[in-house]
Amino acid sequence: MEVGFLGLGIMGKAMSMNLLRHGFKVTVWNRTLSKCDELVEHGASIGETPAAVIKKCKYTIAMLSDPPAALSVVFDKNGVLDQIGNGKGYVDMSTVDADTSLKISEAIKAKGGSFLEAPVSGSKKPAEDGQLVILAAGDKALYDEILPAFDVLGKKSFHLGEVGNGAKMKLVVNMIMGSMMNAFSEGLTLAGRSGLDPSTLLDVLDLGAMANPMFKMKGPSMLKNNYSPAFPLKHQQKDMRLALALGDENAVPMPVAAAANEAFKKARSMGLGDLDFSAVHETLKKPDH
Amino acid sequence: MSMKCLMNCFFCLPTNSSMALSATCSSFLWGIPFTLNNNNNKKCFYSHSHSRSYISNSTSSAPRVGFLGIGIMGSPMAQNLLKAGVDLTVWNRTKSKCEPLISLGAKYMSSPEEVAASCDLTFAMLADPHSAIDVACGNHGAANGMAPGKGYVDVSTVDVDTSKLISQHIKATGALFLEAPVSGSKKPAEDGQLIFLTAGDRNLYETASPLLDIMGKSKFYLGDVGNGAAMKLVVNMIMGSMMASFSEGLLLSQKVGLDPKVLVEVVSQGAISAPMYSIKGPSMIQSVYPTAFPLKHQQKDMRLALGLAESVSQATPIAAAANELYKVAKSHGLSDEDFSAVIEALKSKFQHS
Repeated sequence: MEVGFLGLGIMGKAMSMNLLRHGFKVTVWNRTLSKCDELVEHGASIGETPAAVIKKCKYTIAMLSDPPAALSVVFDKNGVLDQIGNGKGYVDMSTVDADTSLKISEAIKAKGGSFLEAPVSGSKKPAEDGQLVILAAGDKALYDEILPAFDVLGKKSFHLGEVGNGAKMKLVVNMIMGSMMNAFSEGLTLAGRSGLDPSTLLDVLDLGAMANPMFKMKGPSMLKNNYSPAFPLKHQQKDMRLALALGDENAVPMPVAAAANEAFKKARSMGLGDLDFSAVHETLKKPDH
Repeated sequence: MSMKCLMNCFFCLPTNSSMALSATCSSFLWGIPFTLNNNNNKKCFYSHSHSRSYISNSTSSAPRVGFLGIGIMGSPMAQNLLKAGVDLTVWNRTKSKCEPLISLGAKYMSSPEEVAASCDLTFAMLADPHSAIDVACGNHGAANGMAPGKGYVDVSTVDVDTSKLISQHIKATGALFLEAPVSGSKKPAEDGQLIFLTAGDRNLYETASPLLDIMGKSKFYLGDVGNGAAMKLVVNMIMGSMMASFSEGLLLSQKVGLDPKVLVEVVSQGAISAPMYSIKGPSMIQSVYPTAFPLKHQQKDMRLALGLAESVSQATPIAAAANELYKVAKSHGLSDEDFSAVIEALKSKFQHS
């Protein structure tokens, strides 16, 4: 099967590599073209622009970092809209707000193309291992056709209905995750400040009803102040902000998420935006640490 | 009871674990060899004690264990001890709660003082600091019945200062003290799967360990009195925040037209998948909150955790926000529901039946 792939960042690179390894023909594009080189070494072709990729491929997947990037790839000169049309499908796996997704969907469909939003739950390692959870919504026929790619990229795929539902589901999940990371960070810090061994806290948490892979994976590295990015903090804060906006539109109280968002903002102001989102842990430390 | 200095203590551990609820020793004794079954394949070892620090009893039978507080947790914990063949004496403020245990063979005494006086080791499982202090140090409290050679193991969840206060009162009598709050609620208590977070007299920890192993799946010894209390509060602070955040997610998903059951499934597939979410999610979606851990106790724990954070000058904005939600839920009359009822605090008019 042949697919186009737009966006070769932390996620896009791992995902397109995975497709190549499983025998897919992949044509890649990235804003910084040099990032395509490694994919080319593994058998990918290059498209000079998003339009060029669309022209060549029946199906194109996009993995961009935020709403502005996702919109730019579609609407800008030499963007997706230049070449999308009947018989072609566009699968946007970026995490964006529902309005951005709808806007893209309408534009694609207006040109005769079919559209599927498909944001993912999972970061760098699940992307490398093909263990993502895919939250798709939109054109059901396109979903069925692209499923072979989803089955390589992820361990489970959902079709959640109309465009917007995938975006919303992703934001809700990441809202919970961002709050959990803050709760975890507060606990680790309090344990240390109270004279307890924080790694004992990790052991206790791992034994009970609160045990989860995120605590298990991130806990030890947080205790060592190691925040190499699997999921950049700036993107997590973007997701909290979008989730809060979703709550705002629907008058849903979210005081814990609001507090968590403040912590991520503080972390960004401390220059931690490009580190892993677990670096929010640094916001609780005393200035002399 | 006069103080005896035991220079050694003889433990018999059946290698056949049919007697044990978890795969560890369920019978032991202080002072004299004792068997609970006729299993000939016993593994025995000597352990030297330090003088005056071992529990002693002047009779040659099994240790007498007391249990104060027969609530949601105390009842299944005491039951597990009884089923393992422990000689158990119970007390509860409301005697009727002890009836199931009495019919299983437990003895009953009408005050903590009498229980403590008649037992070698007494557990206490009370709802909050006030009750824990009252039972230990109040009128006819356990401290009045404690003496050298005895031990008091408080498995209640309290703040650090309360635990230290109880410890002082108990140790003033010459007895040993261990705080041992648990992680785990009703079902883990029934299944003998609790996690004990102990601190205090190490010797008492060693002696009580076989009993902890009946009631639990793991135990930690964390050093000085206060460390167990602090660890428990930190754990429950995280738990309270997690539940509040999960509630926000469930409610938001419903309000924006998603199926919350699908959210629960999506969460269970990813990095934030926790047993608590899979277990509580479905009932929360139905707006029912069968009580495994009363909301009022979760809010008590949040409050105590915030107090701990304040004492070390640490900001805890997420826990503070979560605490507010538990307070709102309490004001809606949901104190005795499961702590997952905190989701009701987010709703515009609560739909609790």
